[in-house]
Amino acid sequence: MPSVSELGALRGEILNPMPWSLYLALKQLFPSGKRFPFFTAISVLGVALGVMLLIVSISVMGGFGREIRRMIIDTQGDVQIRGQGTTINDVSGLLDALKTVPEVVAATPFAEGVVLLEHDRRPAFPAVQGVDLQRIENVIPLRDYIVAGSLDELDDDSVILSSQLARSLGARIGSTVQIYSPLLLEKLKQDEVLLPRDLRVAGVFEIGHQQLDSSVVLVTLRLMQDLYGLGDSVHGVNLRIKPSADPDLVARKINAGLPFNLRAGSWMEANQDFLFVLQLEKNMIFFLLVFIIVVAAFSVTSSLLIAVVRKTREIGLLGALGARPSQVAACFCFQGLFIGVAGTLLGLALGFGALAVRNDAIELFTRLTGSEEALLRFYQFSNLPAYLATSDLVLIIACAVGISTAAGLLPAWRASRLNPVEALRNE
Amino acid sequence: MSEPILQATGLSKTYLSGERRLEVLRGVELTVSAGETVSIRGESGSGKSTLLHLIAGLDKPDTGTLAWEGSADTGAARRARFLGMVFQSFYLIPELDALGNVLMAARMLGKVDAAARARAASLLERVGLAERGHHLPAQLSGGERQRVAIARALMNSPRLLLADEPTGNLDEKTGESILELLLSVAAEQGAALVLVTHNPAHAARASRRMTMHAGVLSDV
Repeated sequence: MPSVSELGALRGEILNPMPWSLYLALKQLFPSGKRFPFFTAISVLGVALGVMLLIVSISVMGGFGREIRRMIIDTQGDVQIRGQGTTINDVSGLLDALKTVPEVVAATPFAEGVVLLEHDRRPAFPAVQGVDLQRIENVIPLRDYIVAGSLDELDDDSVILSSQLARSLGARIGSTVQIYSPLLLEKLKQDEVLLPRDLRVAGVFEIGHQQLDSSVVLVTLRLMQDLYGLGDSVHGVNLRIKPSADPDLVARKINAGLPFNLRAGSWMEANQDFLFVLQLEKNMIFFLLVFIIVVAAFSVTSSLLIAVVRKTREIGLLGALGARPSQVAACFCFQGLFIGVAGTLLGLALGFGALAVRNDAIELFTRLTGSEEALLRFYQFSNLPAYLATSDLVLIIACAVGISTAAGLLPAWRASRLNPVEALRNE
Repeated sequence: MSEPILQATGLSKTYLSGERRLEVLRGVELTVSAGETVSIRGESGSGKSTLLHLIAGLDKPDTGTLAWEGSADTGAARRARFLGMVFQSFYLIPELDALGNVLMAARMLGKVDAAARARAASLLERVGLAERGHHLPAQLSGGERQRVAIARALMNSPRLLLADEPTGNLDEKTGESILELLLSVAAEQGAALVLVTHNPAHAARASRRMTMHAGVLSDV
């Protein structure tokens, strides 16, 4: 442990080689012998609060965004091939062709549509996904989302319901539901008897998305082809690609070899409107919260301008000692820069600290307000997701330091414009 | 023959006050040799401080020339080495302790090494403040602050010392001791001194006495 005199010597070694403008800036922020520099503390805290709020908000928005992206990829794959107003008739030929694309790891065909589902005289009109049981798990981690029953129980006479749909129909594992497909309506037009398909509930899944969890059912691909009279055709193929591959580039590459009536699209392209809204929300939150830093910067500017007026004679003295106007300006710029850097570091610590305890805080809040179930029902989470991209972190740091440094520019300019003679006469 | 430390020739300065032109300095001639002490007396508003500011290179004359040891370079960089200034109101930096204020002159030259610290400490000792180096200006009396200001003015071993009413804010006894100190340390350090003062007794201590009246400088 170094002694007090050794620490003093170390401090001297650090401060001594500094340019005087930086040395004086630090001394004005942390005056000798003063226990607590209030101006510095409040200025730093203002910037820190802005940075903390930005870190927390952008991280939570990023967390939600990442969860939603994960959910989209988990349910659609990285790339999806669809018929353009037609079905895909030669599925095995297409699957063989896809094997020649090195980035494609796995592929699974699907058929989809809407049916009338009835259980215990309760109707619903869910979307049906017919999945290829042999291939689905290579592309979509369906098993991870089964909350009751089993994927292994799914066969051509059974169905897996989404959780909220099962709840609204009052269906449980082993219950029987009736399905009426559009094909049956066609038969009705031909005065044929309308008989629904009885299907046993083999499982219940929950993905964590309100829409998917309330209006989707899964059946085997063969059953779906039967219900829609598709024969061996399918509506599309979902692809899983290598993690390092760019879905847009892979889709473009696949399109080059597809017939005109088929088209591959990345999950980003398929959900571009939704992703745009997500990004817009995040940008708006960033834009609004960055104003906290701007307001803090205005307060720094105001305080430094007051300091320039208060220190007019000292600025004159610096001129008499041989200071150039640019060096006087640098002294005030350094103060803004230091407040920005210190505020940003403190804000990062506070922000990441708040994120670390976010789930405990939410748990405490919901317990106090008795709103645990409401939170789960409306937001489908019990743990608040958080993710901060490196680019967002860099942007927050750059904005905070940049704005705070800019806050010192006006006082710096004023100080540099002071005529030493006028300043020294100001007694 | 060596160059004079200071040579001012035909300095004049006019300020505009609204529509009025105030002729503050009228063709001032002043030559100061090495080690010389020059006192300038004059009533308030006679132009003493303006002359000092022109000599220090802080302001530009309307006409006339100024040379420091024969050179017309009176810019900020040279000022830090060539001259030291002492003011009536001390002008210490309140955030720095006495030692820090003295070292500030060395910082302007980017020279804050062990030698500079030793010189600052010895100057503080010379002005009688050896034990007060780590005291802030607010913790010092008026006389002690002026002693710190004198030590700061001498820090870079200037060739010329300019003192503008250095005893103006001090009581008579303290003022006497400060003047004594200023004259003796200037002599020790080999610096020429230009002393602006109202006090006739103080002015009489200089080797050359001058008066300023309505912008005109003349020998007594």
